[in-house]
Amino acid sequence: MGRCALAVFLLGGLLFAQAPDTAFFEARIRPVLVAKCYACHASTLATPASGLSLDTRAGVLKGGDGGTVIVPGKPAESRLLSAIRYNDADLQMPPNGKLSDSTIGDFETWIASGAPDPRTGPSTAAKGPAPLKGMSIADGRKWWAFQPVHEWPAPAAADPQWAKTKIDSFILAKLAEKSLKPSPPADAAVLVTRAYVDLLGYKPTYAEVQAFVKDSSPKAYENLIERLLASPHYGEAWGRHWMDVARYGEDNSTGEATNTPYPYAWRYRDWIIESLNRDVPFDRFVKLQLAADLMPGATRADERALGYLGAAQVYHKDQRLSHDVVYGFLTDDWDERIDAVSRGLLGMTVACARCHDHKFDPIPTKDYYGMAGMFASTMRAERPTFDVPPEIEQRFLWVQRRLQDLRYSADLLTNEASTVVGSEARVVKWKAEIESLRTEVEGWHDRYPQLVDHLERFWTFPPPKPANPPPAAAAAPRRRRASPTDPFMNTVYDCAQYVDGTDKNYTMIVYKAGEARDLPVMMHGNVASPGEIAPRHFLTVLSNGDTTFHQGSGRREFADDLFTDGAPLAARVIVNRVWGWHFGKPLVATPSDFGVQGEKPTHPELLDDLAARFIAHGWSLKWLHREIMLSATYRQASQPRPDAEAGNPGNTLLWRMNPRRLDIEAFRDTLLRSAGQLSEEMYGPSADLDSPTDLRRTVYGKVSRSRLNNLLRQYDFPDPMQTSGGRDLTITSLQQLFLMNSPFLHNLSGTLAKSVAGESDVPAKVRALYRKILSRDPSAKELELAVAFLNGSSVDEYAQVLLSTNEEIFWQ
Amino acid sequence: MKYDLSRRGMIQQLCGGLGAVGLSALLGEGTADAATPGHYAGPQLPAKAKNVIFLFMAGGPSQLDMFDPKPILAKYEGQRPNSVDLRTERQTGGLLPSPFQFKKAGRSGIEVSELLPQTASVIDDVCVIRSMYTYNPTHVPARSLIHSGTILANRPSFGAWVSYGLGSVNENLPSFVVLTPGGGGEGMWRAGFLPAEHQGVPFNDAEIEPEKMIANLRNQWLDAKEQRHQLDALQALNRNFSAQFGVDPYLEGRIKSMEAAYRMQSEALQVYDIRKEPEAIRQEYGKTPFANGCLMARRLVEAGVRFIHVYYGQGQPWDDHKGINKELTARCPDMDQAAAALVRDLKRRGLLDSTLVVWGGEFGRTPVSESGDGRDHNPYGYTMWVAGGGFKGGLAYGSTDEFGFKAAENPVSIHDLHATLLNQLGVDHTRLTYRYAGRDFRLTDVYGEVVKDLLV
Repeated sequence: MGRCALAVFLLGGLLFAQAPDTAFFEARIRPVLVAKCYACHASTLATPASGLSLDTRAGVLKGGDGGTVIVPGKPAESRLLSAIRYNDADLQMPPNGKLSDSTIGDFETWIASGAPDPRTGPSTAAKGPAPLKGMSIADGRKWWAFQPVHEWPAPAAADPQWAKTKIDSFILAKLAEKSLKPSPPADAAVLVTRAYVDLLGYKPTYAEVQAFVKDSSPKAYENLIERLLASPHYGEAWGRHWMDVARYGEDNSTGEATNTPYPYAWRYRDWIIESLNRDVPFDRFVKLQLAADLMPGATRADERALGYLGAAQVYHKDQRLSHDVVYGFLTDDWDERIDAVSRGLLGMTVACARCHDHKFDPIPTKDYYGMAGMFASTMRAERPTFDVPPEIEQRFLWVQRRLQDLRYSADLLTNEASTVVGSEARVVKWKAEIESLRTEVEGWHDRYPQLVDHLERFWTFPPPKPANPPPAAAAAPRRRRASPTDPFMNTVYDCAQYVDGTDKNYTMIVYKAGEARDLPVMMHGNVASPGEIAPRHFLTVLSNGDTTFHQGSGRREFADDLFTDGAPLAARVIVNRVWGWHFGKPLVATPSDFGVQGEKPTHPELLDDLAARFIAHGWSLKWLHREIMLSATYRQASQPRPDAEAGNPGNTLLWRMNPRRLDIEAFRDTLLRSAGQLSEEMYGPSADLDSPTDLRRTVYGKVSRSRLNNLLRQYDFPDPMQTSGGRDLTITSLQQLFLMNSPFLHNLSGTLAKSVAGESDVPAKVRALYRKILSRDPSAKELELAVAFLNGSSVDEYAQVLLSTNEEIFWQ
Repeated sequence: MKYDLSRRGMIQQLCGGLGAVGLSALLGEGTADAATPGHYAGPQLPAKAKNVIFLFMAGGPSQLDMFDPKPILAKYEGQRPNSVDLRTERQTGGLLPSPFQFKKAGRSGIEVSELLPQTASVIDDVCVIRSMYTYNPTHVPARSLIHSGTILANRPSFGAWVSYGLGSVNENLPSFVVLTPGGGGEGMWRAGFLPAEHQGVPFNDAEIEPEKMIANLRNQWLDAKEQRHQLDALQALNRNFSAQFGVDPYLEGRIKSMEAAYRMQSEALQVYDIRKEPEAIRQEYGKTPFANGCLMARRLVEAGVRFIHVYYGQGQPWDDHKGINKELTARCPDMDQAAAALVRDLKRRGLLDSTLVVWGGEFGRTPVSESGDGRDHNPYGYTMWVAGGGFKGGLAYGSTDEFGFKAAENPVSIHDLHATLLNQLGVDHTRLTYRYAGRDFRLTDVYGEVVKDLLV
């Protein structure tokens, strides 16, 4: 290669030695500068990276923050050449891939010849639209979403008879501006169905519909809502909504040695369901998910909440790779948390500020790395569900990861001994450390045998294979696999992570339990280009005064800041989400982006007022459900009205309720319930949704990030790799094939047919099927159609027809 | 996601995927072909190609034994000059020459290994890129890079971008199909933040009976007539329901979608059944899973599927850390036969001009040995090829360094390849964007340049 480069260099030199000064620059240098450098180093940019502009002669000669970059005539003293040669691990340009040797040779030739450069003014090539520059912090503080929330006086309702709650006045006022009238109230059967689907996540049975329809009490509807809010199945339906936001999953996109699945994630899911059923105030609900381990008064059972961070996506780290590559994977893990937390809880797109200041919103990279430091100081770990003295627990949390890394490394270099220099010596060293940790851990055996059992798999090695294995080999000690019912939780704890690259052949990750670290701002997101240190802190634009974190990772301070300085935004975001889940469309059409690129609210005062009152009511979600569901707006019929559609396409002003398709959980649960098959059993390890014996609610089905269940996938289940603001509900033929041909539908139909076999005659069977599936009696015409169909076809087939109807999958 | 409140947007949300109801049909715009339009809003470049078939060699096939002859390796066998001291995944030893002979093939005289006689026979239609490079030396991140341009596991794959950007041609088929033995995978055909309808639909091409390839394709209990009768009863109820409720795009869409699903059962049996092909064609491709996949890919192109991934084997078969010579001798013939047959067959049918056939893995392999007789992963320089779609046939582009380790002359990054392929589909890669989480995302992120030298 050396000879090649030299040849090119000589050739270049020969060809251009007598060429007029700048031809070489134009042919060989300028195009490379334009293509590879101007994006970050141009005088037309607001802040050229490192203060270096390469689009003018003056800029090239002046250099950047680190001094001059070229010395004309002296390639050896020109840092630019060293950077493009990748000589220095800390300064490699362009960062996304080394230039070809011939191009590097060109630069050497050019500098050697005195760096002739005809450019006078600023670059023309890089001209285009002015570079985007985000909002300043000062302007950001004026942005609507960050303003304090306060209650608004109810607009004078045009129709005080219609309005039932304050919400209605806001809705009516906007409708009146367009001369639109609301729709009449939905009839009782529609309303009770709506309330069941909305609060419990499935349709009511015939008896449940009738109970409401026949309830003549003036408080019948209020009583219904109270009853449903008190049902334990409420938490199952609303827990799943939260799981969309929390990007709940039980494994990683790949399941390799260092990013194994999360067998106890289901305990986090159960905690969500329990907490919503208990109406844990939303601020506390969120704080526990971020920092239950650091909050006074939080119980051990509350620590299940940490699955929010402890069962999040991580990437496999092959430790044979270099320091920078392994470090890159770690920063990707942290980036995932930043994105989930900032968009999910605050509707802010902080992850946009990883490589440069946010191009639209008031979020500097320093805020990004201020948050990243918090996650660099937070490590996932499996915690016992039982009480353990803090010093043993802390040690257990650290030891498990160290043991996992040591065991992974020992296995890797034993199985693939040739892959790293000195593999055998390393394995010996690691095994010795494993043994020493084992001795320490076994010291806990008398009091905490389960802790020891849990780690035993890391030091149990298969015995060496005997040369002549006996026919019936004595039972070798087996590595115990983690079972989801083991008494542990997927959580996190305060622990700073560092990448140790001192050994060029094998990279280790260092965990410092109880410590925290600040990260440098990484230029262009590149771990090899560290800039100034960003102390761990809350988002500047939301902060009143200094919000640097001082306690450990800062998770608890972050969580507190969310609901003090960040409270107006956090309240707006969750109120908007809840509104969207009730109505099918939120008031802000981009529920995870309240920034400049997001949509503005259709009813800003209503959102403000509701958020303010939500806070005043102790962040109670059940209060919010009542407030929304008792409104006349919510109780409207959902029938289309061409006149209103013309005046307000898309129903953004809510002149009717939005009719919708059931989501997959509600659809599958409703199908099972129609056939009397839905299990009432709550909680516990996740089930395989494809198993014919799984009759539990869909929320208890396994959610895999690597192999998402096909039924979920087909019915628009959100990608568990990222926080979801809402579901696109599609119609596809694969969905219909599931209804037409799947064994699942076939079995349900058969069960339903059997259940009506005892009815006296065909009309009685049809009536029974209608009641079971559609929770109503058939009309005379429907009865006639059914009887005609059954004259030749089976009851099973008709049951399948009813299960497949639009009426079944639709809710009004 | 963003809630699109316009009627068109709402209906688009309701449509999609396998047999989505055509948007124009729902809007009553009755056009000749009821295709779903794409979302690409940039300048319409002259589109040379309409379809992409990506023959994916998971594991990282060895460029040094197939496309990038380096006879100098024999001279320096076992030696380890400084220039090959590049960090890869594992410990490597001295230079390992290829035992395979390279011969000049076709009019173009491109040198191709004796392992690939069939590919050599179509080389004048193939653009060989010998200077590919990527950014990570391990499988999963590198596979994610070639499939989606990033190692992050939540971004859309190339096929999803194409489906999103260009829309679907045939409303009864998905626009992005993945043919892979076992039908499983690691999410490399995800839609990421794009609407779910653009995700790749995986079919198990280890099976050749369509019923086994696609779940729930056939009803095991009713014949077509009985099922039609049942569907009529269902649609009667659905129409009654609409009459009561009123006009609703979801209700209307689902009625049509039911009909499409019913038709698809029989149509799919035609399209997805390679046994309908003449025996001579089956012989030309071969009858291995990969051959079946290649043949199926051609049928899918004819049926209007935009983007087809064909995986060679399960797992990562081209990951030859040990015994590479023996392994390649065993593995190359069926790959070579099928891939070449696909190029030949497409050309015969006049489809090669409008179809991009892309061949390659997530990276290549090292010129230095691993374990004595294997080769380690090599992201620094390797070979991929593209046939059709306006790529120059009979071109060997770029080069690696003298030992075949690192792209030297005219390096082409995976982003450059993506940009160039999109260009041939009529798409400016900087303008195919999707606004999500506060910014516009691209397949090529902030990278990628169209490599004009590769194009006719």
